[in-house]
Amino acid sequence: MNGSLTFLSVAPEIALAAAVVLLLLVEVTFKPRAWAWAVVAGAGLAAGTALSAWQWVAHRGADTGTFWNGMIAVDGFAALAGLLVFPLAGLGLMSAWRLAASQGRRGAEFIALVLLAAAGAHLMAAAADFIMLFIGLEVFSLSLYVLAGFTRERVDADEASLKYFLLGAFASAVFLYGVALVFAATGSTTFYGDGGIADYLAGTVIFRPGVLLAGLALLLVGLAFKVSAAPFHVWAPDVYQGAPGGVTGFLAAAAKVAGFAALARVLTAVLGARADDWVPAVAVLAAASVVVGTLLAIVQDDVKRLLAYSSVAHAGFILTALVAGRGGVGDMWFYLATYAVQVLGAFTVAAAVSGDRAGRSPLAHWAGLGRRAPWLAAAMTLMLLAMAGIPLTAGFAGKVAVFRAAIDAGYLWLVIVAVLATVAGLFFYLRVIVAMYLASPEEGASLPASPAVGWGARFVLAVAAAATLVFGIAPWPLLEVLRDALPL
Amino acid sequence: MPQTDLSAYLPIALMFVLVVGFSVVSLFLARLVAPRHPTPEKVEPYECGIVPLQEPVQRFPVKFYLVAMLYVIFDIEIVFLFAWAASFDDLGWYGLAAVGLFTFLLIETLVYVWRRGALDWNLPRRRRYQRAGAAAGDAERTAA
Repeated sequence: MNGSLTFLSVAPEIALAAAVVLLLLVEVTFKPRAWAWAVVAGAGLAAGTALSAWQWVAHRGADTGTFWNGMIAVDGFAALAGLLVFPLAGLGLMSAWRLAASQGRRGAEFIALVLLAAAGAHLMAAAADFIMLFIGLEVFSLSLYVLAGFTRERVDADEASLKYFLLGAFASAVFLYGVALVFAATGSTTFYGDGGIADYLAGTVIFRPGVLLAGLALLLVGLAFKVSAAPFHVWAPDVYQGAPGGVTGFLAAAAKVAGFAALARVLTAVLGARADDWVPAVAVLAAASVVVGTLLAIVQDDVKRLLAYSSVAHAGFILTALVAGRGGVGDMWFYLATYAVQVLGAFTVAAAVSGDRAGRSPLAHWAGLGRRAPWLAAAMTLMLLAMAGIPLTAGFAGKVAVFRAAIDAGYLWLVIVAVLATVAGLFFYLRVIVAMYLASPEEGASLPASPAVGWGARFVLAVAAAATLVFGIAPWPLLEVLRDALPL
Repeated sequence: MPQTDLSAYLPIALMFVLVVGFSVVSLFLARLVAPRHPTPEKVEPYECGIVPLQEPVQRFPVKFYLVAMLYVIFDIEIVFLFAWAASFDDLGWYGLAAVGLFTFLLIETLVYVWRRGALDWNLPRRRRYQRAGAAAGDAERTAA
């Protein structure tokens, strides 16, 4: 393969890793003020984004390939993942900036972990081999485990971190077992090329697919855990509720993007020849997620927990796009990108309302927010309406896109279930909006100090609101572009 | 879906039966066959063959934990270096550069934790570091 492109294929990861090393060295050498962290982190993320943009321009449809002996893929899929993950990490950092700055000298570690998580997430999307995918998964997950328990003063943050770690490690083990079984069935861990898994499955009739199917099921379970699809979602509410408010948004958004990127490549590109086997399983997972997520969100009294269950339902909606196989990948990206921004925005508001180190955000904190902080309430309302799928928001466009993909694939029953769940979901989203505008704070209730919003959080909310409205009113250009973001 | 042919699962099922069977059989067999002459020394938890003098639950400084963790990291590094050294001739300059990068990352980590005071046995540097951090954090908050 072309030698110069070899290193350019992992250039985004190199840029991020270099930024992490530099950040930590600068931190212990000069003990700089917090803005120096921002400069290094911003430079790393900007370099990663620029390199992904270059990959997108140069290697979107044509001139794709794998490098490092088939370990890393350069294609539109990986490039778009970078274009999504790195800016998202930047927004996540802005949203969590006050939290990071309040941690004193540990703030540098906080920022380094966010950058490492972004690098791992991109590696998951660009991996062209199960081993590389697993390394990306671990880099990404380990960073998030630590971030979930970053504040030391609360026990429930430790609890969230430990739960996330134990269950996540278990899911990683399940995933790895799936890899082993797929290797046993196909004789390879590499996705593409001669003797790769896709090649083997396309050219071979397997008379005894038991081992392969068992492996496929375990892969699906491991990745479904990462994206918190029901019935593998039980960690999500506790982790989202316990994690410090400032970082929950990044946690939720990045986990979805990275997990679905890996899932989409593995299912549609690598195991595409076995679509008849995994599509029904994905459809059942999707239906279970929308139903379970919606029903359990209805009974929540804590906004962060409610958003966690809503994210389970959204995992189901995104899975709905994947039943269309390769044809649904573009729709999946659209839903994923818009939802990631919405969930980041929503958790940013929650951090402002209940405090960015706090875990819980009971509905009582939100009473009368429309009068106390009208802009915050307006931003939250927009995010919630978008998640509910109200027309003229990106959430509506995304839902239409994934439903159309599923109907084209012949899964009308799944779309009917999802539409019913959407209607039921309106209830709990509106419940928060009603609390913000129609309820007044209880007499003598101890509200947290008046919502404090840093400039970073304001910028995040402005971007989230703009993206939600622009891609809600005119989704077609983005949808067209995303059709090119296909795996090899 | 094609008709499910469960015979492909037969080796897995056999393996499962073997694993369970072997562990159950060896447990019971040991209980049945092994001679049993318990003495106070024998029922103690095994510790290098020496009779323990005191209960093992005692407090020990958490700083040992930090040192042990650093030890493991550099232990693993040596494992990787052995693999590289064994095939040094084949890997050439590329291998040297790759291992150099790997070692640099580890040393960078060591520098970081060292400067943060992880190797200080009596904590003065770590305290100083955290005090500086707290002061900077306060300055940040008042500036914001």
